[in-house]
Amino acid sequence: MANLTEDPVLEINGIKVKEEDTNLAIDNKVVVREEGQGERDMSPPGGNSIHRSGSRPQLDLSKAAIEGNFEEKDPIILLPNQSDDISHLAVDLGGSLIKLVYFSRHEDRSSNDKRKKTLKERLGISNGSRRSYPILGGRLHFVKFETNKINECLDFISSKQLHCGGMDSRWHSELPADNNAVIKATGGGAYKFADLFKERLGVSLDKEDEMDCLVAGANFLLKAIRHEAFTHMEGHKEFVQIDHNDLFPYLLVNIGSGVSMIKVDGDGKFQRVSGTNVGGGTYWGLGRLLTKCKSFDELLELSQRGDNRTIDMLVGDIYGGMDYSKIGLSASTIASSFGKAISENKELEDYRPEDISLSLLRMISYNIGQISYLNALRFGLKRIFFGGFFIRGHAYTMDTISFAVQFWSKGEAQAMFLRHEGFLGALGAFMSYEKHGLDDLMVHQLVERFPMGAPYTGGKIHGPPLGDLNEKISWMEKFVRKGTEITAPVPMAPNGTTGLGGFEVPSSKGETLRSDASALNIGVLHLVPTLEVFPLLADPKTYEPNTIDLADPSELEYWFTVLSEHLPDLVDKAVASEGRTEDAKRRGDAFARAFSAHLARLMEEPAAYGKLGLANLLELREECLREFHFVDAYRSIKQRLTMEGQCGHEARLLTLIEGVLAANIFDWGSRACVDLYHKGTIIEIYRMSRNKMQRPWRVDNFDVFKERMFGSGDRKPPPHRRALLFVDNSGADIVLGMLPLARELLRRGTEVVLVANSLPALNDVTAMELPDIVAEAAKHCDILRRAAEAGGLLVDAMINTLDGSKENSSSVPLMVVENGCGSPCIDLRQVSSELAAAAKDADLIILEGMGRSLHTNYNARFKCDALKLAMVKNQRLAEKLIKGNIYDCVCRYEPAS
Amino acid sequence: MDLGEFQIPGNSDPNQKTSHLSLDIGGSLIKLVYFSTNDGDDDDDDELGRSGKESVGVSNGNRSFPVLKGRLHFSKFETRKINDCLDFIQTQRLHIGGCQRLGALPIEKTIIKATGGGAYKYADLFKEKLGICLDKEDEMDCLVAGANFLLKAVHQEAFTYLDGKKEFVQIDHNDLYPYLLVNIGSGVSMIKVEGDGKFERVSGTNVGGGTFWGLGRLLTKCKSFDELLELSHQGNNRVIDMLVGDIYGGTDYSKVGLSSTTIASSFGKAISDKKELQDYQPEDIARSLLRMISNNIGQIAYLNALRFGLKRIFFGGFFIRGHAYTMDTIAVAVDFWSKGEAKAMFLRHEGFLGALGAFMSYEKHGLDDSMIHHLTQKFPMSSLVGDKICSPLNGELNDNESIECSVYAS
Repeated sequence: MANLTEDPVLEINGIKVKEEDTNLAIDNKVVVREEGQGERDMSPPGGNSIHRSGSRPQLDLSKAAIEGNFEEKDPIILLPNQSDDISHLAVDLGGSLIKLVYFSRHEDRSSNDKRKKTLKERLGISNGSRRSYPILGGRLHFVKFETNKINECLDFISSKQLHCGGMDSRWHSELPADNNAVIKATGGGAYKFADLFKERLGVSLDKEDEMDCLVAGANFLLKAIRHEAFTHMEGHKEFVQIDHNDLFPYLLVNIGSGVSMIKVDGDGKFQRVSGTNVGGGTYWGLGRLLTKCKSFDELLELSQRGDNRTIDMLVGDIYGGMDYSKIGLSASTIASSFGKAISENKELEDYRPEDISLSLLRMISYNIGQISYLNALRFGLKRIFFGGFFIRGHAYTMDTISFAVQFWSKGEAQAMFLRHEGFLGALGAFMSYEKHGLDDLMVHQLVERFPMGAPYTGGKIHGPPLGDLNEKISWMEKFVRKGTEITAPVPMAPNGTTGLGGFEVPSSKGETLRSDASALNIGVLHLVPTLEVFPLLADPKTYEPNTIDLADPSELEYWFTVLSEHLPDLVDKAVASEGRTEDAKRRGDAFARAFSAHLARLMEEPAAYGKLGLANLLELREECLREFHFVDAYRSIKQRLTMEGQCGHEARLLTLIEGVLAANIFDWGSRACVDLYHKGTIIEIYRMSRNKMQRPWRVDNFDVFKERMFGSGDRKPPPHRRALLFVDNSGADIVLGMLPLARELLRRGTEVVLVANSLPALNDVTAMELPDIVAEAAKHCDILRRAAEAGGLLVDAMINTLDGSKENSSSVPLMVVENGCGSPCIDLRQVSSELAAAAKDADLIILEGMGRSLHTNYNARFKCDALKLAMVKNQRLAEKLIKGNIYDCVCRYEPAS
Repeated sequence: MDLGEFQIPGNSDPNQKTSHLSLDIGGSLIKLVYFSTNDGDDDDDDELGRSGKESVGVSNGNRSFPVLKGRLHFSKFETRKINDCLDFIQTQRLHIGGCQRLGALPIEKTIIKATGGGAYKYADLFKEKLGICLDKEDEMDCLVAGANFLLKAVHQEAFTYLDGKKEFVQIDHNDLYPYLLVNIGSGVSMIKVEGDGKFERVSGTNVGGGTFWGLGRLLTKCKSFDELLELSHQGNNRVIDMLVGDIYGGTDYSKVGLSSTTIASSFGKAISDKKELQDYQPEDIARSLLRMISNNIGQIAYLNALRFGLKRIFFGGFFIRGHAYTMDTIAVAVDFWSKGEAKAMFLRHEGFLGALGAFMSYEKHGLDDSMIHHLTQKFPMSSLVGDKICSPLNGELNDNESIECSVYAS
């Protein structure tokens, strides 16, 4: 039984234990075995304290018992009736590795507050009416073990109680709640180890066919995960957008111990057409015999430093350094793998293990690529997807396979790889549970997050899971102390250093940050069933949120430097937001380390976490903050700003737009702004900012917008029906900028929906905070008050406002919806269902701030009128995007397309 | 009827005149083919020879050059012992013949046809040591010319091998093409052959004879390729290979047609951390390695044959060495993957395709293709290489000896 106070060890899958849990464990000097609780999502943000009782997990203490000797210092308390969040576990028991996929459920966010209720009525959303059974929000975790260490796997399952959740009544109502737990399993081991599972865990393995699972897993990934597949040529990784309507047929090559090649024609429609016995087991088996490596990963890492030319016989060796160009063989083509080892002068010990490993790796990868291509050719398949744990995201392996496919097909066929390569079978087994609703999951409902340990371990499990935040911090500190120094910004590695360049040896990657070279590069998949595609996107298929493409190395370096330099300031703000306690400082340090590690990892391999855009990077930072329980790092600043702001006076449209642009200077994510702030008060800055508002702005479509609003001559266009205002920063930005604009729109009879973040990011205002801000503003302004009342925002605040204000309740409503994300940017492919519903009647969108209107969505086209407002607070972005300077303004208006 | 003879080169008739020598200098082995005429020697004057000569006379009356009567000798050396080869050529005066006619005096510039990568690599060495120039012939040209020659000219050249049974295949010359030629040397070349001089190298693999011998040397302490082959004969690959049954707890994975004894992963059992290299029997390692490589070649060859709709696959090259288990594995792989549609066939002169092809490239030796064709129809030639197939390791193939067989061309 895992005692959570053991030495900190890593569990990568983002276990989030609430602070309350920590306190419980520490105060009572006992350890509560209920890690499952920790799997819950972060508590919903909002309020001024994170110690809100509502987020405390409710422990079921009935029949609690202390296990073992009562005299022990840290006895384990068993809570047999504590329901576990883990609902499903599926295993793929292969010849060399065991893969686990398990699902942990989100705690349902409270949807009972009055605001939401009113909003839902108004927007016509009814809970769960669209499905016969609700999809559960939650997370998919991916974990692997070596098969010869199956006991570690069993311990892991047992310690996390993964095997108990399968009986969840929501999905298995037909099953009696007895002890006969069943988990889905595939792979040969599902037969071989069935008795062991029964004996150790008391669970029966429900055996699913291996090929069925592989195909189901691959189809799910290719359809549900954006940027799942990628090509890898000469060290260059490129994500491929798969058109779901044009997915089939394809060849699936799963490289495990052996290799299976499957022609896939559709869901459940497939045929195993070929395979080879020269696979991952051969590499590791032969590699073990030839080198003294202790693990597959060690062997793979050795290959990074190898030179296969000492062992392989090249065409040049046979032809005296010349090519055999007549048939297209260059001098460096390998004529015969291990062909030089026939020399009598050298024995096994005279060869470098590095060279042997590389030669072996190349031989096997190339061979697999070749046989795959021949099979693809045979069935006229253009796409070949390679999966299985042999690959392990290893650049040389992928380059070699790609090269083989490219070479033999003369560029006709394409080798593609899957980020969840090793988990196809396990995922497929997971999919075979009925009624989990995952079949219906769409791309936009999945969000992948990379927890703390990801840069170091890439999904490897080292021992029992981390119990609480404290252990996570210790682990972080310990790991860093171990000597893997992380400096940020990290020097830029030249592009394509792992390039194959024909059959050349990849150049050494030098000091690698990771503890092993074969990181998994997959995060935890968050299933958020309430996310939807923003309905007003003109063309969702071609929509790309990111304006800045970080595939450009100079962009990448710049933004990494910016983020790195801003980090100390951010940590300072974050620590200050929690009163600069010792605990906050420790968490702040751990956050800085964890985020630096992410940055370093991404610097080394930009595509490590999937396709990387600036939006992803900023979101990663926020997620990382949340992981170390900084619920709102900018809280103290937000409060100051909001207090200082005041409701603007009556003004015409230009003044209002000016106001929005000027107020957008209050951006605490921007270094330039932070510097300014040290020099003056909010109002001073605001005035200064306003004074600079000389038209024309750098991008200035104001007149077109004005014409739409007021018409020209006698033509008076009708006001907009509903406007969605995507608000940005908290405080002055909203109070001095967006609220006055909202007020003007309301006055003109346009419904206004303020769209704010679900989770805090930078100093962006959140949907939870907005009603309070609106309420405060409403005290000084009738229009806002009536509209807020009509929109149900002032349900509680109403009592405090002036009496007899019920008259004139015919005002158009002012509403607040959350956007479903927690990033300064917004990816409109994944927005909350609330926002999607609100968008249905909207005919005007106003995007405010750099994150939402420049970094992302600058080029996005909408079905309705769209206005993008921002002040550019970054010189480089200004130059790049609008050929202007810092503090230039953008007022981009685009009529409905 | 004495259709073949074996001679130790050292004992060969000093009167024998060598008129042509050609070389195939590969990555691991050097193959020599040389032709000797036996003037006034009646050894070959058997019935077949005589009748052949007569018939040639009849049918080739209008030819401008005569068909020579003589023998083709086949001999091999390890490439790393190239000096032995040079000594052999020198002592046998094989290079004197060159492209000179009989009796001509050696001149400064003797030219020898050569193919294989070594024809480039060792050109200077030949020049220096023997004073001869290597006239480089394209390797694929030679392989194809050699194979075509053998398949057309030599009776019982090709055979199938399945379940330990060797069966000669009568090739209908009119229905020879197209076929896939798989030459397994250090590496493997796969050539689609559509006619004389009409071919394309369609594929190949770097997992070949060099891999077997190279990996085998590292994994066992074998001193020679043949020793390694001999070992493999006694081994049991199940000790090291991961079989389907090992993964499935002894049961088949019959849904996809995999029996429990199918190899799921070559060397897959060696991942166990309980055993180190020295804990495995060299025999078992050799066996596992041989199966891995043979099976792989068989599979890739089949896939290429399938791609071009070729029903016949001929395997040549020195990797095979008439080794029963090797041929069996290749044949099984082709049979398995093609579901019995395609047939693996082997060549008795497997290792000499390139050298023979280089030899064919001499002009005016009277063995040009049309002549061969003509001859073989009327006077089936035959060569005998001993019963290598059933007793592959009887010593004939040891490094510094050479197999000699004779082809009666007249």
